[in-house]
Order: sequence, then C-alpha cells, then structure tokens
Amino acid sequence: MRSHETFEELAAVYAIGGLDGDDLIEFEAHLAEGCDRCTRVLRDSGEALALVALAETRVVPPARVKAALLARVAAAGARPTSGARSRASWVPWAAATAAAAAIAALLTGGFVATRYEAQLGRMARETAVVRERLQREEAALREQVAVYGQAVELLREPATRVVDLHGTGPSPAAMGRLIWHETAGGQLFVANLPPAPAGKAYEMWTLGGPAPQPAGVFQVDASGRALHRLQPAGGPATTFAVTLEPEAGVPAPTGPIVLASR
Amino acid sequence: MTTLGEDLIRRMATGDREACARFYDRYAPLVFPLILRVVRDRSDAADVLQDVFWEAWQGASGYDPGRGSPEAWMITRARTRAIDRVRAVRRRSATFVPPIDEGLASAPAEAGGDAAERAEDRGVIQSALQALPPPQRQVIELAYYAGLTQTEIADRIQQPLGTVKTRIRLGLERLRDVVGRST
Repeated sequence: MRSHETFEELAAVYAIGGLDGDDLIEFEAHLAEGCDRCTRVLRDSGEALALVALAETRVVPPARVKAALLARVAAAGARPTSGARSRASWVPWAAATAAAAAIAALLTGGFVATRYEAQLGRMARETAVVRERLQREEAALREQVAVYGQAVELLREPATRVVDLHGTGPSPAAMGRLIWHETAGGQLFVANLPPAPAGKAYEMWTLGGPAPQPAGVFQVDASGRALHRLQPAGGPATTFAVTLEPEAGVPAPTGPIVLASR
Repeated sequence: MTTLGEDLIRRMATGDREACARFYDRYAPLVFPLILRVVRDRSDAADVLQDVFWEAWQGASGYDPGRGSPEAWMITRARTRAIDRVRAVRRRSATFVPPIDEGLASAPAEAGGDAAERAEDRGVIQSALQALPPPQRQVIELAYYAGLTQTEIADRIQQPLGTVKTRIRLGLERLRDVVGRST
C-alpha cells in the first residue's frame, strides 16, 4: 500500500504528462476514487505550468490558421434556415459539412483512441489479476472437494475407522482426526497445529509392526489447519503419530511427537 | 466573478462564432509559442494550433472553471496535442531525438490581442523555471517540452526512476510557490 505522499509525487509527474506504466494505472485508479488532495495538486501544477508557458515570448501565429479555423467552425455550425434554399446552394454546404464532419471524426477518433488505450490497458491488467486469483481459488476449492470426496468414500466402507489424535508435548491444543482404512489408506484432518518452522515439516507415522512406518510429510496453513492423504501402510496399523521433522521427511522418526492416537 | 476568458468559452458553448474568433485572438498568441517550442516546425505548429482551437470550440460546454483557468485549459490542451504530434513523428522515425534546447520559440515577438492579464508577472514566472536547480529544471523540460515519460527520462539521464520522480515533484512544488506568490 502506498502512502499518500507517494501519490502526491505521482500527481506531480501526472500533471506534467510524464507518468507511465503501473504508476499511471495506480494513480488513475486513485484519482478515480475522488482524492481531493491529488486533484488540488493537479490543478495547482497545471496552473503553474500554464503560467510558465504563458510567460514565454509571444509569437503571432500565421493568419491562415484563424481563417481555416473559422471556416471549419462555420461549415460545421451552418444550418439550412428554410426549405426555400436552392439545390445549388445546398449541395456545397452539404459537401463542406460532410468534409468537416469527416475531419472532426478523424480527430475525435484519434483523441478518443489514445484516451481509451490507457483505460483499456488498465482494465486488461485488472481483469488479468482477478482471473488469476479466481483460478487460484478454484484450484484450491477443487483440491478440497477431492479430499472431502475421498473422505466420504472411505466412510462408506464398513472396515473404515475414525481415529482421534491429540496434541502432545509442544502443541497441547493441536487436534487431529484420521479416517483410516487398512487397504485404501486414509485422510487426516488437523487443526490448531502451529505452522512448522522454516526448513521443517510434519511427518505422519503408522505404528503396528516392529517399527514406525513413514506415511508422508505435510505442512499446515497459517490458521493451523492441514489436510493430508495417507497411502495404505503395507502392514497392520493400530496407532498413529505425527512428529516434527526436516522438510524432506525422514525414514524413522527423530523429532518431537506433536500428535498421537491413544 | 467570471473572467473574459470564461465568458467567451461559455458563449462558444452556445455556438457563438463571434466568441470563437475573439477567443482565438486572445489565446492563440499565448499558446502558439508553446506549440512551436514542442513541435519545432512552424507549419506543423500551425496545424496543431488549429486543431487545439477546434477542440476548444467543440469541447467548450465541457469546460469547468473549478478545475482550472481558461489559460490552463488551453495550455494543457495545446501541450498535449503538440506532444501527440511529436510522438507521432518519433514513431515514424526511430532516430528522432526530442528537442531540449532553448530559444527556438523566441522568434518574432509581438504583443497579441488583448490577452494576458498577468503580463506584469511574466518576468518573475519565466525566471521561476530558469531559477530551478539544473537537475529539476532538466527533468521538467524533458517531460513538459520534449514529452518524455518518467521512464524515458530515467533512461535518458541515467538516473533511477525514483530520483526522476522526486526531482519533478520538487521542481513543480517550487514553481507552484513562485506562481502562487506572484498572483
């Protein structure tokens, strides 16, 4: 987030016509929100620059410019006053009006095009940002739905067990619930577990044989929640535990136990 | 209180062609030097001048005195159109180097029409730009007269973008101060 002082700096650059890139997009968006301070900076800068420009030595423009301008104005502004006009006088008027209209259209077109180019650029950028966020959110939701789908499938099986895990040692408030099927694997839901320190991860273990079997590593999100899919354990599993381990996981537990079943 | 300029613009908005002629007499000699300084070519400058007044005629009903004086309205429009012209030329010729030198516009000097209520302040205001520290004056001239954007200026003078922005802000603050004191 920018401080307002930064916007006032952008306002100065905008006033002199030098703003470009993301700064231009951001500043125009800020201005569109109706910022009084920036509007004042723009107005005062415009007046100051105008006075500097006006202080230059005057130069009388070529006389033909005024003549051409007034002819153009007259051609565009002329209106037939009555139907009594002869065809002969009406035709050149129409031709002049059409020509003036064509020139005006070209000029206005160019003017409008440059203004809208900037606006379109801004809209395209904003749209891209929104689309990206939606895609990320959609991917996350799909993943969640898949996990819940698997959990529901597992729960349909009569042999499926639901095992509660309790926080131990360093994280007494942590909670876990494991939906476990001997041959289909399982799904672990975790809450209140603090995120692992940098370079560390949580590792799941199944116990039942002579040694704990590793069942995958996982991380928890900022709110302390995690979803973790377990593959079937190759042998009987009666109890379950989670330890804090190096990020890549280890073949046998080395760190403190943070969650364990009874 | 309505100034003469504002009154003329209001009359132009109602389709008063006489007002258009008077508006031109009053403001053309004021904005032409700026256009000439930016586009440099007298014939191009004349074309831009005509377009600027044509736009003013067509856009008169959109003028809002609260957002700036008629002078600022015209100068901003003139500068924008002149820069558009310069950029179009620059696009056509990749080797074009925008002008930054002085004095081109100090061609025939004549008093024009009945314009410039603040004529007595001219000396003060002109020297306000001259009096800026050279680094601030340089970036302001590159942006305002040569039509370079902040990024182009940073490239051109080999300074970080942040430095360019800060110099523009400081320079404009100083100009606003000087102008504010003299009006």
